[in-house]
Amino acid sequence: MSMTRAELQDAARGAFGGDELAVDRWDRVVEMGWLTMTVPEAQGGLGLGREAAGVIHSEMGRTVVPDPAIAQALVIEALSAADAVPDRDDLLARAMGGEVMTASLSLGDALDCVPDADRASHVLSVTAERIALLPLAAATITPRATWDTTRRLFDVVPGTGGITLAEGPAAATLAERLQQTLLLALAADALGGAAAILERTIAYLEMRQQFGRPLALFQALKHRVADMKTWLSAAEALFWSRTTDPAATLAEIGALKAHACTVYCAIAEDAVQLHGGIGLTMEYYCHLFLKRAMLDAVLGSDADYWEERAGRRALRATG
Amino acid sequence: MIGEAALTEALDTLRHSFRAWLSAEAPQDWRATCTTHDGFLATQRAWFAKLAAGGYAVPHWPAEWPGGGRSLAEQKVIYEELARADTPRLLLSFMSTYHAASTLLEWGSAEQQARYLPRILEGEIWCQGFSEPNAGSDLANVRTRAERRGDVYVVSGQKLWSTMGQFADMCLLLVRTSSEGAKQAGLTYLLLDLKAPGVTARPIHQIHGDEEFAELFLDEVEVPVANRLGAEGQGWAVAQSTLSSERGLTLLELSARMRGALWRIADLIHNGGRGDDVGLLRDFGRLATKIDATCALADQFLANRIAGEERVGDASLVKLSYSRTLRDFTAFGLRLGGLRSQYHDPIVYGGGMETGNWMADFMNSYAWTIAGGSDEVQRNIIAERLLGMPREPRTWTLEPSA
Repeated sequence: MSMTRAELQDAARGAFGGDELAVDRWDRVVEMGWLTMTVPEAQGGLGLGREAAGVIHSEMGRTVVPDPAIAQALVIEALSAADAVPDRDDLLARAMGGEVMTASLSLGDALDCVPDADRASHVLSVTAERIALLPLAAATITPRATWDTTRRLFDVVPGTGGITLAEGPAAATLAERLQQTLLLALAADALGGAAAILERTIAYLEMRQQFGRPLALFQALKHRVADMKTWLSAAEALFWSRTTDPAATLAEIGALKAHACTVYCAIAEDAVQLHGGIGLTMEYYCHLFLKRAMLDAVLGSDADYWEERAGRRALRATG
Repeated sequence: MIGEAALTEALDTLRHSFRAWLSAEAPQDWRATCTTHDGFLATQRAWFAKLAAGGYAVPHWPAEWPGGGRSLAEQKVIYEELARADTPRLLLSFMSTYHAASTLLEWGSAEQQARYLPRILEGEIWCQGFSEPNAGSDLANVRTRAERRGDVYVVSGQKLWSTMGQFADMCLLLVRTSSEGAKQAGLTYLLLDLKAPGVTARPIHQIHGDEEFAELFLDEVEVPVANRLGAEGQGWAVAQSTLSSERGLTLLELSARMRGALWRIADLIHNGGRGDDVGLLRDFGRLATKIDATCALADQFLANRIAGEERVGDASLVKLSYSRTLRDFTAFGLRLGGLRSQYHDPIVYGGGMETGNWMADFMNSYAWTIAGGSDEVQRNIIAERLLGMPREPRTWTLEPSA
């Protein structure tokens, strides 16, 4: 990575501000060139790898931004890989330039959990046999009201037409890579969100006085925070080690995603408790993180699925 | 970068030569020979001697000592290969080569270093005499008295939780030489010969029936003034450097050993015919990932230390993560072991959590959540030092007992 992780993180944190949550920053994402990040330089991208993408998705998780950046990243990766498609360069340039092209965040065969489909020009269809970019002009788009209001999800039934990006064995290979990209982005979102809500919880405990002293002085509360920090630090270390490991398998990345989301849910749940009454309201930030944590946990398949796969893998590897 | 490539090559060379050395020299039968005290002691002594002769026993010592002068990255390679080869852990000499050595190197005079360090390399066993019945986590509360009479200190008191104290030759001893002023200011640090008249070591039977710790009774024991480390009254500072002796890498080794021991769980699943039990597979997958995360955290800790970016409290994150994961690991083994785990077998010493005796391993995991700074102490450090939360006001004063 030509730019260090810390430098990119500083740039992203500066661009997103930090105090304001759940604010649409799509223009900023485009302007900073983050949509071009993982695309090779020969195709007009920055040629940075997964580690850089991890930084950006983590920063978006920190401020729970509502933008369809994860879906767009999937489209861009699929286009970037589709060397044989005649219109590829034009489509890729448009996608990197901010024209919203979206994809399912469940990555099942049905086009559900599709962010921002109402403002997108195309949707990516991914099956093991065929990966295609479908125009949304003739599609049926049904909004889904989700508990997590920081994401806008839709069910899409596409019309006819569309451009095939990969077929056959090439499609299967690309589909697995896209799944890895999705899982890493969700894990990054989870860890960024977990770090942010933990910092906010600590700040709250230091500010809030009860029984004549700040809550942060109570050992029972400090110990809970210390446990959260420990699990978060271990999950972050695992994230960076798997993100920078080119040999990491889908099962390993899935297990990482499950672990990161479990940590996020645990921290977001504890944050509600540690904030007391105010944590229980819609007026404070806790619920934003909690609901996003719960959604992250099921997107791209849930912990039950990935932990079972990880268990089977560990059984094979060590038995 | 050329420098980095050369470094990687040098580490690979070390890895291959050490691996080759281990395949010829590592003890193969230690699980069978370590089921008795005598077998354990003999195996530990022989393995230490072999490692020392090969130049691998004290890679963390300075370069002027045989086998020393290894970089942190090289030490990591050595630990990883020791774990990979499933060698016995050096439990018996751990306190000597780490705690005693690092304290001597920092505080010892040239004469003291020249006298004791070679003896450690020859296999002399040291233990630590810090804790007392009323001074565990609250070490400033040490009450063992030392009174100077001419060229000797005369020491009386009781020490507790001295790891391997019943097998040791020497003891790092923290004593009180004054009760004036702050409690820390009255402490002095001595090197005690455990064969001196007036010393009684009594092993403590631990929860699993084994004797890993001892208590030491000191009755008018004479310790030469020449055996003092630092000045009189400087004991607290000397003890701090003993306590902060290099243990981060130990956790790296232990995490790697825990990951390496996952096959024991896999065996239990296979042998129980439970390879298709989805609930069990999920729990196993979750545990394996948690262990991977602990290993990644230990790796990152080392990378930060090498880069000079370690923060106060980082070591506590690694220790807490390890101790809780170890508890999960051994509890899972105990659950899978079923009734078989409830039957008492002779314990394999020196195998860490890999003894395969799940009940013993589970109970021994408390050694990691209590010893070396309990989980609660680590949580305080993480909250106060790493996260900057306010320190508890120290308003409570304890009257000295009569």
